[in-house]
Amino acid sequence: MEELDLLKKAWQKDSHSYEQISEVEIYKMLHKKSSSIVKWILIISIIEVLFWTAISIGYNTDEYMKKLHAENMIVYFKVLNFVNYAVILLFIFNFYKNYIKISTTASTKQLMQDILKTRKTVKYYVWYNLGMIVLSLIAGFIIAFAYNPKMEMLKDKIAHESSYYTLCITLGIMLLTIVVFVGLFWLFYRLLYGILLRKLNANYKELKKIDL
Amino acid sequence: MSDNLEQLFVKQLKDNQNIIHKICRLYTNDEDAHKDLFQEITIQLWKAFPKFRGESKFSTWAYRVALNTAITLYRKSTRAVATTPYESQKHFLSQEEYNFEEEEQIKLMYQAVQQLNDIEKALVFLYLEDKDYTEISETLGISEVNARVKMNRIKGKLKKILNP
Repeated sequence: MEELDLLKKAWQKDSHSYEQISEVEIYKMLHKKSSSIVKWILIISIIEVLFWTAISIGYNTDEYMKKLHAENMIVYFKVLNFVNYAVILLFIFNFYKNYIKISTTASTKQLMQDILKTRKTVKYYVWYNLGMIVLSLIAGFIIAFAYNPKMEMLKDKIAHESSYYTLCITLGIMLLTIVVFVGLFWLFYRLLYGILLRKLNANYKELKKIDL
Repeated sequence: MSDNLEQLFVKQLKDNQNIIHKICRLYTNDEDAHKDLFQEITIQLWKAFPKFRGESKFSTWAYRVALNTAITLYRKSTRAVATTPYESQKHFLSQEEYNFEEEEQIKLMYQAVQQLNDIEKALVFLYLEDKDYTEISETLGISEVNARVKMNRIKGKLKKILNP
């Protein structure tokens, strides 16, 4: 076929010049997969913070406190809230740093270390969030006991009962609430970040296999 | 060790990158798609690199992995593109030997090749790369007879596209 051979001749001579890709660019391509996972971790963590912020805007703690006549607690909550946001922003900054590092690194060894570091950061982040949930639940219980008038009866009963029956039940219910909440959030985080972490781990293993 | 292997791979790939560029050129029709496919092929090559034992030349092995990647990626999206703005800007012939009639013929042929399906493109690609049927059959994992039959059919198909 004459035309095809004409094309072949032109093809072989290849007067077409391709934009040559440098070694650094090739390295970047090889590490692209990890960097896209880390990018998702960053995006999800930001969305998560925005989500919780949106919810907390809808729910006004100050008014609730005023209703309970617990105005002196408001300042503590403000501080707690502030510290919480500061810590979370710090985490997000770390996620961002990890992302930048992973997407620019040129060596596999460094990439493996960065992956391990990112995994650790995510783990700390989840633990921190779970810890915060426990802390705020406990604070909530304390405030309810100290200020909520509906609790008077219960307090009376605990104080006048010779056995610790009511106290035990109350503590038991609190503990159960904490466990259920923490369990739910733990599941939520496992789903959200667990999948990404597993993918990252698979990447790590793949890199390790090559690292004989 | 790992960094050594990686360095070796990156160097080989850099030296042989025109193979991948050519495949990308055949399978994609704009610059972004070209880059995407190039990257995907690079990743697949890197994944398969530990299995590459140097029994064949790097380029031969790269042909196989790269074509397989292109074929699997473009299997689902059978885009038949008659005219491509990206290609029309580029010339096949160099300035010294420029011949309007020949250039037009080559362009038409090239556009016809673009309308082939993924596997046919792979065969034409290897044919254009001046591979013999033994190599074509090895690279694509089909028998030599099958490769010949397929190539003849493709030539028929191209003729039909050129002279409808």
